[in-house]
Amino acid sequence: MNRIFLDVHALQTVPPSNLNRDDTGAPKSAVYGGVPRARVSSQAWKRATRGYFKDAQLLDPAELGVRTKKVAELLATRIIELDTSIGEADALHMAAAVIEAATGMKLAAPERKTRGAKAKAAAGEEPVDETPRSKYLMFLSARQLNGLAALAIDGAADITAYLKDKDNKARAKQIADTGHSVDIALFGRMVADSTDFNVDAACQVAHAISVHRVDNETDYFTAVDDENTEAESGAGMIGTVDFNSATLYRYASVSIHQLAANLGEGLREDEPVTTPVRRAVEAFVHAFIASLPTGKINTFGNHTLPDAVVVTLRTTRPISFVAAFEEPVTAEADTGHLREASARLAAYIPEIERAYGDEESTRTWVLRVGSATDKLAEVGEKVPALSALVEAVGTSVAERMEKPA
Amino acid sequence: MSVLTLRLDGPLQAWGASARFARRTTESAPTKSGIIGMLAAARGMDRGDDTELARLAALRFAVRIDQPGARVRDYQTARHQITKVSMPVSERYYLADAVFVAAVEGEDELVDLLDAALRAPIHAPFLGRRSCPPARPVRLGVHHETDLPQALRDEPWQAAPWYRKKHDRQPTVPLTVLREARLGENGADFLRDQPLSYAAEHRRHALRPVVTETVEVPHPDVQAAAMTTMRVPEHDPLAALEESN
Repeated sequence: MNRIFLDVHALQTVPPSNLNRDDTGAPKSAVYGGVPRARVSSQAWKRATRGYFKDAQLLDPAELGVRTKKVAELLATRIIELDTSIGEADALHMAAAVIEAATGMKLAAPERKTRGAKAKAAAGEEPVDETPRSKYLMFLSARQLNGLAALAIDGAADITAYLKDKDNKARAKQIADTGHSVDIALFGRMVADSTDFNVDAACQVAHAISVHRVDNETDYFTAVDDENTEAESGAGMIGTVDFNSATLYRYASVSIHQLAANLGEGLREDEPVTTPVRRAVEAFVHAFIASLPTGKINTFGNHTLPDAVVVTLRTTRPISFVAAFEEPVTAEADTGHLREASARLAAYIPEIERAYGDEESTRTWVLRVGSATDKLAEVGEKVPALSALVEAVGTSVAERMEKPA
Repeated sequence: MSVLTLRLDGPLQAWGASARFARRTTESAPTKSGIIGMLAAARGMDRGDDTELARLAALRFAVRIDQPGARVRDYQTARHQITKVSMPVSERYYLADAVFVAAVEGEDELVDLLDAALRAPIHAPFLGRRSCPPARPVRLGVHHETDLPQALRDEPWQAAPWYRKKHDRQPTVPLTVLREARLGENGADFLRDQPLSYAAEHRRHALRPVVTETVEVPHPDVQAAAMTTMRVPEHDPLAALEESN
């Protein structure tokens, strides 16, 4: 299939805050361009992004796979695809055993309900369908089918004995655990244990860093004990909180082709095969832009959204624009960092595209807020709202994927 | 023989050689395993494809430290998504603000193939850890009919302008090169970063002999300044005296 990379760039200003702290409680930091910078780690923002998937209900697992009672047949087909030496009957037996181990559900051939049907079956007038079915509709994504099929092939020699092993059974259960398809396809396993099966992440999230020099500050606080009498005049508690404020450059890249491989093609017949990927990309763009790590958010109330978002879709390779800020931005007394940061980005993007980009195949969108980001207006197609950006990206991704390679 | 040179430049990089479990350290320069992995990924090679990996791992490797950077420690907590079990607190180390030039040497055909893969990679390159995307294109160029030491002497200094300013009085700067030792070469250190397998179930690395050298590379800013000075017309006060005789 076509090679497609999606890059998301955002400038986001956060007021005094402590989004992501280290073991001493101080906001995380880094050095870039020879000066200290504020940093929010990639894993903190990935966690916020996947949390947003769930909280905003961006994805229904049913959109991305298939609901069926014929799970054993579906899995058996996948097993035979992976290992053609396995016969149909064996594959079906293996598939049923693996699904039973993974879900704890007994599969059985459908009962013939009417007396007429039973008689016909007994007389051999109608072919008897003995394929095991699940009792209710089960959801399986392509990722899960592949995982279970691989597991079945591992234990092909004696599937019953193989699944008696505690570790193997736990692994089957893990694979069948639904609802995590999309975030695992995007981010891989953030935490893996021996029973997890591996998925190479389709997404790279960079550590967000400030575009300017940042030195952490410390807030000294005292708190009154309301129950203290006049005689006890001291503070009930004293302490310090470290914080900083920053204009962050945030960057993430998604390999659409890898995402497609992880998720698999759509399994439902009533929709295009590109639907799972399109929906996952839309959810990612939405959630990455709108999410915020929750560190100390009740202390600082730093609920902000990006002032400028640039999204690029290209077929060559991902390009981060962080080098635009290697020389730290300095704020004029009356402008803050955002205006200069936008100007830097607006100057840098056409330059890097001229030198290394592929104009023909690259599409760029810009979503921005306020006059401080005016200079970014020309770097791409203007979109008025996050919803419009998400839709434009989704449509474009689906179009690109459907093009012959 | 040809050499492919790469520029590794980004806010953060991490090159682990012996890092395991909860403490993920970084070497002070890119590892062979990290760079070969990047090239293999660019070609879309499968993790378990040890035969193809052997072909790439046979390339000779060297790296030049253009801007050493600073170590940053990252403290990380995590919980399992499904079981909610807390994982051991982990420490991850990064190199911040560093710039390197890495080079691989091999047959013309293979080097050209890898160069093409970097122009349009299948899996995106990253600087040792997935959360460390490069700030600039990684591919510097292919140099035919040369070898590792020569290629790293010829490649211009890639350090950032602010860093170059700190060395603005020397016409050339000494840069450390960590080069894979030749067969039978003495004085090598050993680093366990020769990749044997990237398979998820059994990543394996062998020891690799590394020789540390220094190369002198022209300082581009000082050279430019010198050129300007030379344009001042030569002035010989005695010439006028001779004429008047």
